[in-house]
Amino acid sequence: MKYRILHSTRYQYALSVSNCYNLAYVLPRATERQRIDKLDIKVSPMATTRTIRTDYFGNQFLQFSIEKDHTVLDVSITSEIYIKDATTDPNLDFGNPCTYVKYLLQHSKDWETLCAREFMLDSPMVQAHSDLAEYAAPSFSDDRPFLSAVMELTQRIFADFTYDPTFSDVATPLAEVLKHKRGVCQDFAHFAIGCLRSLGFPARYVSGYLETLPPPGQKKLVGADATHAWFAVYSPGEGWYEFDPTNNKITGEQHITTAWGRDYSDVTPLKGVIFGGGHSPQLFVSVDVRRIAEDFVQTQTQTQSQSQSQIQR
Amino acid sequence: MKPYSTLMENPVTTSDIKAFMYPSPLAGIDEAYDSEGGIRPHWRYLLHSLQTLGQDAIEERQRKTRRILRDDGATYKIYDEPDANQSWQLNPIPLLIDSEEWNQIETSLVERAELFNLLLQDIYGERTLVRQGVIPPELLFSHHGFLRPCHQIKLPGDHQLILHAADLARAPDGTMRVMADRTQAPSGAGYALENRTVMNRVFPSLFRDSHVHRLSLFFSRLRQRLHELNPNGGIARIVVLTPGIYNEAYFEHAYLANYLGFQLVQGSDLSVRNGYVWMKALDGLKRVDVILRRVDDVYCDPVELRGDSRLGVPGLLEVARMGHVAIANPLGSSVLENPALLRYLPAISQALLGRDLQMPSVKTWWCGNSDDLEYVCANLKDLLIKPTYRRPGLYEVYGADLDDKKLQAWQNRIRKNPLQFVAQEYVAGAQTPTWHQGQIQPRASVLRTFAVASESSYSVMPGGLTRVNLDADKKIISNQRGSISKDTWVLASEPEKQISLLNIDAQSSNESTNALPSRVVENLFWMGRYAERAESALRLLRTVFIQLNKTEKLPDPVCRTLLSAITHVTATYPGFTSLQNTLFKNPEPEMISIILDHQRLGSVANNLIAMINAAEQVKEQFSSDTQRVINDIGDQLEQLKQTLEPNTLSAPEEALAPLITTLLAFAGLIHESMTRGNGWHFMEMGRRLERALQIVNTLRSLLVTGFEEIEQETLIESNLLCGEALITYRRRYQNGMRIEQGLEMIMLNAKNPRSLIYQLTQLEEHFSNLTNNQDEFSAEQKLLLEATTALRLSDIKLLAKTTNGIRSDLDQLLSRLQYLITTATKAIGQHYFDHTDGPQLLVKNTEWEDQL
Repeated sequence: MKYRILHSTRYQYALSVSNCYNLAYVLPRATERQRIDKLDIKVSPMATTRTIRTDYFGNQFLQFSIEKDHTVLDVSITSEIYIKDATTDPNLDFGNPCTYVKYLLQHSKDWETLCAREFMLDSPMVQAHSDLAEYAAPSFSDDRPFLSAVMELTQRIFADFTYDPTFSDVATPLAEVLKHKRGVCQDFAHFAIGCLRSLGFPARYVSGYLETLPPPGQKKLVGADATHAWFAVYSPGEGWYEFDPTNNKITGEQHITTAWGRDYSDVTPLKGVIFGGGHSPQLFVSVDVRRIAEDFVQTQTQTQSQSQSQIQR
Repeated sequence: MKPYSTLMENPVTTSDIKAFMYPSPLAGIDEAYDSEGGIRPHWRYLLHSLQTLGQDAIEERQRKTRRILRDDGATYKIYDEPDANQSWQLNPIPLLIDSEEWNQIETSLVERAELFNLLLQDIYGERTLVRQGVIPPELLFSHHGFLRPCHQIKLPGDHQLILHAADLARAPDGTMRVMADRTQAPSGAGYALENRTVMNRVFPSLFRDSHVHRLSLFFSRLRQRLHELNPNGGIARIVVLTPGIYNEAYFEHAYLANYLGFQLVQGSDLSVRNGYVWMKALDGLKRVDVILRRVDDVYCDPVELRGDSRLGVPGLLEVARMGHVAIANPLGSSVLENPALLRYLPAISQALLGRDLQMPSVKTWWCGNSDDLEYVCANLKDLLIKPTYRRPGLYEVYGADLDDKKLQAWQNRIRKNPLQFVAQEYVAGAQTPTWHQGQIQPRASVLRTFAVASESSYSVMPGGLTRVNLDADKKIISNQRGSISKDTWVLASEPEKQISLLNIDAQSSNESTNALPSRVVENLFWMGRYAERAESALRLLRTVFIQLNKTEKLPDPVCRTLLSAITHVTATYPGFTSLQNTLFKNPEPEMISIILDHQRLGSVANNLIAMINAAEQVKEQFSSDTQRVINDIGDQLEQLKQTLEPNTLSAPEEALAPLITTLLAFAGLIHESMTRGNGWHFMEMGRRLERALQIVNTLRSLLVTGFEEIEQETLIESNLLCGEALITYRRRYQNGMRIEQGLEMIMLNAKNPRSLIYQLTQLEEHFSNLTNNQDEFSAEQKLLLEATTALRLSDIKLLAKTTNGIRSDLDQLLSRLQYLITTATKAIGQHYFDHTDGPQLLVKNTEWEDQL
């Protein structure tokens, strides 16, 4: 599958900003399944310094600074990527049972497992908690295959929680999310990660995009898409698997990855420091994920069978 | 006293000294006593000399020590006790180490610094220690000092770790053990240097004859290494980055900056532009090449590290990543302070160095290991509990100091967050002779040592910072808990050869790297202003006290005019400008309030405290003479609280005199001993502007209204008295007080240093001498030129003339001058000082969590 993605971010300031220093996690990441064919980065006004760097987690991020007065900041990234067709869904019912996964996590000496243990620890926005463990525990009986348990957790979050963009912002604590069972993709990903870590499993946060399709017969609106987030778990010897609790599924070829980290704070789409600017800068984000022509007709029919209500963000 | 060499021929024996020493301890280890109860040879000369000096002389030198430390402004703040005495404390008896033992210690410390350097490189590079299972991944990944954004950042040269410090204690078997490593921004080297300087002055001959290894070479090596780190070529501009005056070790930051010849800066003095770090100086941005960092790494860059930090420089990390600035120690180095590393250090040493360390660490258990956790919980009462990540307010605790309830609470806390705690075997440290309550007493000591990367290895400071608790019951030795310090003498077997430091110091800075940050200049400007405000107010108050206490009672209108002048000049409205009669009947309480009420804006105390605070901000700019005078100003202000009791005053003007004299001494010192750089010019400009304003205000309050001749004379006299011009006036004009002559003297007499025209011409002079002076006049220069011209063009006769009891020409002129000078002052602020908005975060709510 080939996509063209346009991701633009605009900040509008009440007063002039004299200079700013920013980091942006808005570039697609090259992965086993994902290849970047074209990348075009526009920063306006023109950046004084601008570099693409690779971070500790292997993500590409954009560093830039602007050192002249401005009241509007625009960052737009156009990329063309190719995603390998999803192989058949992994059979979740075979594979290592939960107890064995725990055993391997403690005793495996392979590099990947040792590194994955980083994702079992608390991170700035996700802390283990007994309430989270309690919520998740029923799915993780000892002899159940681990990945099937994670799929069940994903399903339960999807069923128990209401998607509600008015409820939360990036700082909403997990306890609140659990109490009200509301939130957005980011909260659901954090919540799942918190559940898994509370039970002693490694889980990481993945940010990216999801292709959405308009209702049958309607034209797709530009910018109707949004940034999306989900999570991945690690099973020693089996590797990392990604799940999307907002849409109740294992991620497929409609999930386009930009970056991963311990939680949102490691991969915040655009952060930085500004001098001046006055109060409450206004943020506008628009994302457009579009299949590139040749594949379009063929794939549209496949995905339309999905219930639209599932594709929430 | 016998010098060391003769001592060798006629050695002092234990029995010669015993009378003055505490008895040989029955148990434990002692620095001065050997296990048989004899005094160790390297202690004999010192102890014998102290005995010869005797109690009184030692006490006297202890007092002298305190005085010098205070004059040097040597402070150390204890966060939990903000009101406690903040003076740095130095015990007169040093810790002695003989050269043979020191050689071993030194070798071990070099080895340890090498190991920590390799460890740092591994942590932010390949992480082979995690890969190969030498350390559990959680040990690294859960530590708050592990800064992922610092991954792969490298300093030029062989070493990533520039400074390494270690806390050593002597174990019961007599060998030294390392209790902790300091790699964030090791403090104490500056205090050790200050201790040495003071000891050298207080015990000059004892010091000379003891053949003590010098400290200066260590600092030369540090300076040299920082120059070598310069990534940009040319002569490096090196700065010491301090969190500012609220940091406990701020004195040391200022002291080191001065000693090393670097500029002391705060985060807000620096700015990232075009991929480099710059210092905001008065005449523009100056590139900074190397930063000696005394700000904790997580606070150094709000873009990539703690977003809520106000102490850092936005964008700094990226500049370091680009290799355009070198930071020592590098950002991320606090990861090495994790005491859990000590548990794995033997294995780490095998993995990285291929051998065991010569000097072992104190036995350490990490609660992240389940066996260790159980051991720690079972033995908590015998162990020292430490968090793996240090932060203010979270200190180590000794289990033996806790009751059962607290022990249980700690156990719960540890079990809840086992990764974040270690426990250590408690090592008391050896007893060392300490001067306390007029005699030598044994006190446990710990020693902080310092190593700096030098050439292909490390160079260790011979000695270090020794600390003891005067309270023998206190178990943990830490400056934050009131421990005091000692100098540490490494005794050479023969006099040390003088090594020329010329080569090493060849890369000294030049004029171009000496620019001051504009914050410093602004503080100096304000110091000048506050000092002058306080002085003018005091002069006027003194004059009014004198006039009020004259044997003849003043006529009411004169009295009212004088009193309202105080309110006008100090801007402490409404004060005497309100029409309350009680205030005029008994003016003393209000006058005293204007002097002493430090919370009252415009009061003398308020201005002086503001001046002292500004001085603290720029203390690195002052000599110890100046520091002493600034201390005196604070002291005399305190004293005034006792001497100025309302209604008990016989001659209140007398009480004010010492403070006025001290302020004059301060002005004189500045005038006589400060280099004529921008800092001096701005301080003087602040003073001149303020004095000009005060003259205008006083004139307007006292002389605009016309009075009968006798009354008028009192007011002119008062005005001249404020301006110290009365004597000159009387000598020149022997026919009583006339308004024209008075005005001439105060406004236009170019020879009177307290006249208005004198202030204005001095200001002109200062402007023409500023380093960035340009041909075209700036806004403030134009305003001041207009003021000068208006003054020069004025006609004294017209000014003196009254119409309907008012000198309206005088009033108009003064009002114009007031406007021009005030506006010029504001213009200077806008022109030279950085008042841009502080940084703000684009995304506000992803700040770091404080989990403990």
